[in-house]
Amino acid sequence: MKRVGFTLNGKTTTCDVEENELLLHTLRERLSIASVKEGCSIGECGTCTVLIDNEPCYACLTLTAKVEGRDVLTVEYLAHADLLHPLQESFISHGAVQCGFCTPAMLLVGYSLLLKHRQPTDEQIREAMSGNLCRCTGYVQIIEAIKDAAPVFIHSGS
Amino acid sequence: MFIGRDLDRVDALAKVLGTAGFAHDLRMEGMLFACVVRSTKPHALLRDVDVSGAYAVPGVLRVVSHKDIPGQNTFGALRKDQPFLAESRVRYVGEPILVVIGENEAVAREGAARVRIDYGEIDAVLEPDATGKGRQIYDTGSLMAYKKVRKGDVEKGSAASDVVVAHTFRTTWIDHAFLETEAGIGYVDEGGRIVIKSSTQNIHYKRVEISRLLAIPEERIRVVQATTGGGFGGKLDVTCEGFLALAVHLLKRPVFMRYTREESFLSNTKRHPLSIDYKTGARKDGTLTAVKVDITGDTGPYASYGDAVCLRVAVHATGPYEVPNVWADCKLLYTNNPVSGAMRGFGVPQLAFAHESQLDEVAEALGMDPIDIRIRNGLKRGSVTATGQVLSASAGFVETLKKIEPFWRARQKTKKGSGFGLGCMYYGIGNTGVANPANALVELGEEGRVILHTGACEIGQGSDTALLQIALETLGVARSDVLLDRGDTDTSKDAGSSSASRQTYISGKAVQEAALGLRAFLDEAGYYHRGRALGDIYRATKDKGRLLFEGFFNPPASGLDEATGQGIPYATYAFASHMTEVEVEEATGACRVKQVHAAHDVGKSINPKAIRGQICGGVAMGVGLALMEEFIPGKTASFDAYYIPTSLDMPRVEVFLVEDEEPTGPFGAKGVGEPALIPQAASVVNAVTDAVGVHVYELPCHVERLKGLIESKKTTK
Repeated sequence: MKRVGFTLNGKTTTCDVEENELLLHTLRERLSIASVKEGCSIGECGTCTVLIDNEPCYACLTLTAKVEGRDVLTVEYLAHADLLHPLQESFISHGAVQCGFCTPAMLLVGYSLLLKHRQPTDEQIREAMSGNLCRCTGYVQIIEAIKDAAPVFIHSGS
Repeated sequence: MFIGRDLDRVDALAKVLGTAGFAHDLRMEGMLFACVVRSTKPHALLRDVDVSGAYAVPGVLRVVSHKDIPGQNTFGALRKDQPFLAESRVRYVGEPILVVIGENEAVAREGAARVRIDYGEIDAVLEPDATGKGRQIYDTGSLMAYKKVRKGDVEKGSAASDVVVAHTFRTTWIDHAFLETEAGIGYVDEGGRIVIKSSTQNIHYKRVEISRLLAIPEERIRVVQATTGGGFGGKLDVTCEGFLALAVHLLKRPVFMRYTREESFLSNTKRHPLSIDYKTGARKDGTLTAVKVDITGDTGPYASYGDAVCLRVAVHATGPYEVPNVWADCKLLYTNNPVSGAMRGFGVPQLAFAHESQLDEVAEALGMDPIDIRIRNGLKRGSVTATGQVLSASAGFVETLKKIEPFWRARQKTKKGSGFGLGCMYYGIGNTGVANPANALVELGEEGRVILHTGACEIGQGSDTALLQIALETLGVARSDVLLDRGDTDTSKDAGSSSASRQTYISGKAVQEAALGLRAFLDEAGYYHRGRALGDIYRATKDKGRLLFEGFFNPPASGLDEATGQGIPYATYAFASHMTEVEVEEATGACRVKQVHAAHDVGKSINPKAIRGQICGGVAMGVGLALMEEFIPGKTASFDAYYIPTSLDMPRVEVFLVEDEEPTGPFGAKGVGEPALIPQAASVVNAVTDAVGVHVYELPCHVERLKGLIESKKTTK
């Protein structure tokens, strides 16, 4: 076992993990972060996406030991108390959610993109989402949700 | 007030917060993990099964075989022909043989890997054989199902044609590829009952199967739908539920299961690969005279939903057109390939590929515009379908064409390789020619809260929200007055499965009926005219027992004549037309889908935003069916080899709704879940033909295949 310290959703976290343990397992099984999904286990579907230092990463391909000292975000970070993040509100109002299994990862990808591009084009959004599969929505309403959240995102000071 | 409004989904909040309890996320104190040992051979006798290796793994508690099954070791939605666990013989790669139960997932999977099976291999039947002369899996022959439709005289019709076009079309296996693989949890509750919570499309059906499996009465079993990460037909059959029930029954401890992606690809039923011989005749003016369709399909070794697919494709073989002379045959044959079953559209997307390609070729031969031949022959009110059904209402097919007509007429090829295609469909809502009722309950509960109890499964398609909107509109109460209680066999009556685009129409009508019952009660109690509060009404009457109102709807349809297929298979049909623009790069065969105009007759739009979501999702799945999706038995095990469309593959989508109200539907509504997908692949294929002048008779039309077609066209020039 190995002790790993990192920031999870803004909180300092330490966790004893196996040497070869994957972040997906640590988050889901040790830290009860069930929003990080396991759709394929080999880095193809993107449902396990988390942000590491604000960059999307597949938790199923990331060793927990590698996040030592880094900043890990999951969708739990976005909403505060009773207040949804504008991106979450936008996903709801645009109908960007169907079965919802890809939704937490899609939100994180959108969040990461909006940190870098305050007014992303459709192409930038499509490009950013291209590593995340969705079988229900055809992506259209997700793209619209991310795009429409952009102006509010700037003002929300995220 | 609530119909036609973009109400936010009732489940969206939990889903954006990440708190929705998917089957994958279910956990219980002290739970065990179960893992299935599956056949690695397509056809073999089980000579010896050695489980000692599994028991040698510390933490493995039990290896379960067919001998541990107290009841019936067979299941099946339409025929009870599929073993939960193989007994002496396996018939496809992935067939379950044992269930290994361990303290955790790693242990159970390790145990499963250490089981040694001595297979006595038998030559596998890997090609469907319609002659009946080749090798057979069963003594009773290879023919699983045979359905036919006969109308008029197709030979006479052909003889009277000015043009006849005939081709053979082929499709392959398609996987549902829902992002949440099959999963669930089981436990024994305080009352000693078996409880199963799973990712499913039908709770009451699963309860019946568990009851047969364990030989215990249904009331000793409770099935609950967990939040379900997609279905598309793949969670209609029993997946993990039977294994969970068996494990819980034997060990009396909570047990969890989750298929890996590879297991899901291996075990999940597939879209039927069909071979379609299609002959179309028409007169000079474009009027269709005859359609003859001979379909053969590979159904794998067990029936699953094969009967439903077989009948549905025969019934829908002509597409949404009035044809005076029809001869349609569909035969599904047993093989040792994967079990094919229900997948979004039950075979009709494959048929749309064929009938829409045919129609374009007929139009080309006659020098007609593709939209004109469709308008000329399109089904409308008063038309007679291939099964002799007169469409008396809600037949807005031509109106869907009219919606996209301005865009079609104005289309302009912007560059070399750009092309446009049309795809059309009609689709019977609900099951074919059989009773398929739904029940619903509406209750005036504690403190005057209205509770809607439904057994309909929300699989992402939006039934929870649509049913709630129907209840709200019927009752004329506020959103906050109504609670939704759903997906639990303990609190709901059977609503049938979430399939066949049937829940909005059938469960919706049942909800409306139940709500009308409560409405009449509330009216009498003074809610509507005297302003009496719901809470007051509840308190004044609660001592008389539960205020529960039942709703029931079974669509008015009839069985079909066995010899001719004539009859009324469905009470109502959805109609749609898609126009697709593509760009094909001739040098590589790469096809990009640029834009889709999709027009749908939904009867009445309950929630336009949700309908648009269904259509955009259907377009995506249709693009996949047309251009990239192909399950190869023995090879496909991951998304690395099974491509589904990503955000980069998606076109822009413009949605148009036609509302030709269905008199028997709730507020006039029909369904849209499958119609959204059905015409899409057809319109892509027709656009490819328009773009590069090659005809596509086999799907998927992936890069290599299209490149080959383009090259062979050049060499034959």
